[in-house]
Amino acid sequence: MNATFERRLTRDWDDPGVIGIDGYCAKGGYEALKNALNMEPAAIIDTVKASGLRGRGGAGFPTGMKWSFVPTNTGKPTYVTVNFDESEPGTCNNRELVERDPHRLLEGTAIAALAIGCRTAFIYVRGEYLAQGVILEEAIGEAYGAGFFGRGIAGSDVDLDIVLHRGAGAYICGEETALLSSLEGFRGQPRLRPPFPAVEGLYASPTVINNVETLMSVPDIVVRGPEWYREMGTEKSPGTKLFTISGKVERPGNYELPLGTPLRVLLEDVAGGVLDGRSLKAWTPGGSSTPLLTAEHIDTPLDYESVAAAGSLLGTGAVMVLDESDCVVDAAQRMTRFYAHESCGKCTPCREGTWWAERVLGRIADGYGKAEDIPVMADMGKHIMFRAFCALADGAASVIDSSLKHFREEFEEHVRLGRCPLREEHVEVASAV
Amino acid sequence: MSSTPDVTLTIDGKEVTVPTGTLIIRAAERLGIEVPRFCDHPLLRPAGACRQCYVRVEGQPKLATSCTMTVAPGMMVRTQNSDPEVADAQRANIEFLLLNHPLDCPICDRGGECPLQDQALAYGPGDTRFREAKRVFPKPIPMSPLVGLDRERCILCARCTRFCDEISGDRFLELFARGAGERVAIAAGEDFRSPFSGNTVQICPVGALTSTPYRFAARPFDLTYGDSVCPHCSAGCNMRVDVRRGEVVRHLARDEYDVNDSWLCDKGRYAYRFPDSPERITTPLIRDHGLEPASFGEVMTKIAGWVDGARVGVLTGGRLMDEDYYALSKLTRTVFRTNDLDHRRGSGAPEAELVAARTPMGVTYRDVERAPVILVVGLDAEQEVPILHLRLRKAAAAGARIWVVHPRRTRLQDVATHILIRPGDEARVFAGGTDPVMDEALEALRAAGDTPVVLAGERSGAADAAQTHLLGSGARFAYVTRRAGDRGALRAGVHPSLLPGGRSLGEAGAVESRWKTAIGREAGRDSMGILEACANREIDVLYLVGVDPLRDFPDGALARRALENVPVKIVQSLELGSLEPFADAFLPAAPFLEKEGHVTNWEGRGQRFRRVRDPEGMSLPDWEIFASLGLACGGDLGFETLDELHDEMGELLAPLEAAGPSIERTTTANHGTDGTDGLTLFTYPLLVDEGRLSERADELKAALAAPPFVEIHPDDAGDVADGADVVLKTATGEVTLRARVTEHVAQGSVFVPFNQAGCQANQLLDGDFVTSITVEPVAELVDAETGAEA
Amino acid sequence: MAVFEGDRLEEAEEILGRYPEGRERSAIMPLLYLAQSVEGHVSRDGLKEIAGLLSLTTAEVEAVASFYSMYRLRSTGTHVVSVCTNLACMLRGAGEVYEAAHQAAGMRHGQELSDDELITLHEEECLGVCDFAPVAQVNFANHDNVTPERMRELIAELRDGSVPEPSRGGPAISSFKSASRVLAGLKEAPAS
Repeated sequence: MNATFERRLTRDWDDPGVIGIDGYCAKGGYEALKNALNMEPAAIIDTVKASGLRGRGGAGFPTGMKWSFVPTNTGKPTYVTVNFDESEPGTCNNRELVERDPHRLLEGTAIAALAIGCRTAFIYVRGEYLAQGVILEEAIGEAYGAGFFGRGIAGSDVDLDIVLHRGAGAYICGEETALLSSLEGFRGQPRLRPPFPAVEGLYASPTVINNVETLMSVPDIVVRGPEWYREMGTEKSPGTKLFTISGKVERPGNYELPLGTPLRVLLEDVAGGVLDGRSLKAWTPGGSSTPLLTAEHIDTPLDYESVAAAGSLLGTGAVMVLDESDCVVDAAQRMTRFYAHESCGKCTPCREGTWWAERVLGRIADGYGKAEDIPVMADMGKHIMFRAFCALADGAASVIDSSLKHFREEFEEHVRLGRCPLREEHVEVASAV
Repeated sequence: MSSTPDVTLTIDGKEVTVPTGTLIIRAAERLGIEVPRFCDHPLLRPAGACRQCYVRVEGQPKLATSCTMTVAPGMMVRTQNSDPEVADAQRANIEFLLLNHPLDCPICDRGGECPLQDQALAYGPGDTRFREAKRVFPKPIPMSPLVGLDRERCILCARCTRFCDEISGDRFLELFARGAGERVAIAAGEDFRSPFSGNTVQICPVGALTSTPYRFAARPFDLTYGDSVCPHCSAGCNMRVDVRRGEVVRHLARDEYDVNDSWLCDKGRYAYRFPDSPERITTPLIRDHGLEPASFGEVMTKIAGWVDGARVGVLTGGRLMDEDYYALSKLTRTVFRTNDLDHRRGSGAPEAELVAARTPMGVTYRDVERAPVILVVGLDAEQEVPILHLRLRKAAAAGARIWVVHPRRTRLQDVATHILIRPGDEARVFAGGTDPVMDEALEALRAAGDTPVVLAGERSGAADAAQTHLLGSGARFAYVTRRAGDRGALRAGVHPSLLPGGRSLGEAGAVESRWKTAIGREAGRDSMGILEACANREIDVLYLVGVDPLRDFPDGALARRALENVPVKIVQSLELGSLEPFADAFLPAAPFLEKEGHVTNWEGRGQRFRRVRDPEGMSLPDWEIFASLGLACGGDLGFETLDELHDEMGELLAPLEAAGPSIERTTTANHGTDGTDGLTLFTYPLLVDEGRLSERADELKAALAAPPFVEIHPDDAGDVADGADVVLKTATGEVTLRARVTEHVAQGSVFVPFNQAGCQANQLLDGDFVTSITVEPVAELVDAETGAEA
Repeated sequence: MAVFEGDRLEEAEEILGRYPEGRERSAIMPLLYLAQSVEGHVSRDGLKEIAGLLSLTTAEVEAVASFYSMYRLRSTGTHVVSVCTNLACMLRGAGEVYEAAHQAAGMRHGQELSDDELITLHEEECLGVCDFAPVAQVNFANHDNVTPERMRELIAELRDGSVPEPSRGGPAISSFKSASRVLAGLKEAPAS
């Protein structure tokens, strides 16, 4: 672990006591909420704006600005909705944050609610996080018991309720408008924007949707101030971030680092390097939806701007590592199968394109590809990218595009040899449907 | 309405100015630029699902879908016509759509009129690089007896499901599953039971949803067709009648945004076989020993002899066209010299009728659509005037507050507040102070100035009660009669006390001078009065035009006595049906599609329809028969062509300057049972019933008709369980029916559909559509017997 | 017999009460879990009764139920074993773990429910436990760093009538029905 650096989000991870409300309060928990109760909503928003906190869900949108878009004079209620539908392949930091420090999420959510005048907040947790949902239910029960939710929270005259809502297995519900559809009891299909959720979100009312890690960063910002927050990270990407590193590494896990830490540090110093001393072949900087990078990019600083400059996206900060023995065609096929499975079906390029791509990639991976399949795949990436209703398909296209961009010869080798060049001989694999 | 400011933008180098909020795809249409599309429909909310309508909006990093993006000032748009990348994206999208779409156009019902086929040819790649296996499904999968799904053809544009969600509110068709497995489906055990289901077939942009009656019935290039107006109700829907080798095979909605938008109800769409019924008679008949074919000349000579000096009564119904009604009104007054003439089924609503007869056009569909407050009284819009029901839903979607005052809950229940009252209680609740919900509605009506609309149906004097009590509110009032011809008949004076233009008999002067004849100042008999007079042998000749007294009037027994006792019966219709034993002469009339003329809908809007095919056999338009009959009887109606007829109608049906005289309310208009403890039976025909015009519409009946039933409120049901058989008794009759015990009917009220299969409600009635009734469980003895049999 | 009756009906009402007035449709997802907890899958009756509770058509409910992978509309085993085979797990041998599960459960190709109806095997997309890949869940309780050998043990334990203790996050979930109750936001029912 990087010894020189002060942990923020993970500082209490070694103390199982903070899972309970007493332990959490003993370490200063819910003080930020009490402070916020004495602040004007605009002051809370200004503080978060000044901190430069950017949404950790993938898009990196400034959080304070997002809150400031919410009109509070429409006569309608306003809502805070926590996006805990963490489903981006390779990403699991929200899960561990909640497992180890659930009250911090509730506190951050309550502060967001105060900032926009919300009286009912929702946490949308993916169904597969059954245990984490239970942890939150218990924490919510404790927080109600301690008076941090309910009528007149923390001795104030503010009422605030919080409702846990479980998803049921649909990656698309991480997309914020699909999440709202799902929370309202519909199929989790994304909606047209405009109107944007800030204006017409949950129940056609102004709504803020924030990622777990984002909200958990808020209590410290309120207590310690924006300048403190900006002490770490970069000018445009301040603060720390929980990176997940998985795949072919010695010590997979969630690690908190200042934004802007190069991959080399995360991979070699923090996670112990590539598994079994092999060499790095390819990696995703922010989950499977972000374009693959290669060993060439090992010194890329992990912040929003630098990763973009390298041709990818910081996304969720989920690094998946492929080593020299891993077949990129197999990886691309598996990822594409994921997008085909998770496509909501609403729009043509995503629904049909991912379905087709999965099949063609499957053939290539299995050694039944034709030379003309490769330009078809290249075309398909092009025709899916930026053409679909929402960004899910862009993720699918990124996989196809970036794997062809960096590893086209490997695809061509599969076609030429009629098998995977990384395997000794032709092994027939039944394509999974 | 304040006008929205206009926006000027450029599409493919051409400037166009459109209202703010216009979608790019619509702005392009203004310039005649077609952007291909599948999910887009002008009456559905933007979906952006099919992704076919890409355009480039300069300054934006991605291509935009023109069906979801609204215009902005100075926007520079390029379509496939001027941007190769747009054309390429559209081509790629069609390649995606065709991956799983079978190339079975030659055997597809949609082939030849298919948006996918057409646009694939125009904008598609012309070839495929797809080498995998296509998805396949069993086919057709029934959604209902009317609609089948060829699922492999579906491109998941969601037009059908959005129609059900946004337009009809009948959310039985849904998208199930997701991704490539997504599919249009119904839930197991739950049919697509919507009276608007056929619209989903018409707006399907591929051959996925097909109409069972039309399946494999024709190819588009086999069809001849004509523009017509639906004959089934007073909605006045514009439609196209498709004929293959002389036989009607399909009705399609035509776009008319002032009337039916792009929709038809399923009755209008699927009850089209009656003109081709084997029962149809297309030659004149005369009774000698039996009914024998004869020439028009022979029959008319005979009729002339019968009517000469005789007391004639004339009854018709609601299925003639405006020109027919006018000619009949004139024939009756000038040749038969009587006011014993009526088209109504019951005693009517004298005040509302007078206004409707004098008003060329009152409240319109557009008024309904824009009204902030709407009161619906005595009308089950979905069942009686279905397209008006859709307009009410559209109004609700736009934010209108709607109240329905009716003895029975309607399918507006999800968008309107219902006030369930006993039939006849309308006047009492309108007076205020009896029902807080009603008072809230009245207050909303008064508070909204002159924009609210009151729609009153034919039920139990509701229209007169509404007119009397709500006139002061400022709301605009419409009397919504049910049948297609009702308004035209009123306007033409097919009525015992009204003359053309809604003139009272006291105002007969203008008519007399045009007709060059004197008209009796004494009101004639209404329909029930005519039947009574026939039964009492006070009428010598009964002339029945497109009407069947045994089925259509609220006293079956009286109708039978009338037919038995009146010496001469002349029937003019498409067929004889149950009148076969009674008719002394038969004159073959042509149905709507074999003639040309006008029909006036509930709004008062006269719409022209075209002849789709020639009259079958010797049949003729009714007005031509009336004109010939006039001549045969020594009169002269004064017109031989439609143009001559129109000239005369134009004069007499022009709007009148003077307000109408006040009509004295007759005691017959006092419906209901005046607050007694007993139960009140009320009845009206449901949309799909045993009506003559629904003959042979078997799939329609299978989809929408219910087995015979009676509805009783739980408080009135006593020991009667839901689903049990009950005996209904009135002063005139007794029937046994399956009970539906439901809170959907007002307490104290009992509902029996008027003309349902297996039960003619008119055997329970004695001249009105409302009467006192008792409900008893089926006696134990009978129960035991039937139990033993079962 | 109705799906929601007695205590279940009361629980359904409680679930409806979690959401703002007039927004009860939001309860459709927990109600589907509740129906699943009664019958072990969401049956036609369950769909119909939920439609009744929410004044929807059955089609509207089925449209939602069929969208999400955690509602089972077909017969389902007493236990559901989920194996993640997404990239992070795949890179660390999830394919072999899944194969092991398939064989241990005695399933033929394409089969998802074991002949004895004890186990439904589900190949999963990313379960969000990439730090302990490859992973599996038994009734949605986590099992980390699963090897083919460990997977065979898990299946054997289920066969023996016990439910293996999960690696993290609370006690074992005794069955798929129980998991569905927890997912409905209710306490796990005492064994009946």
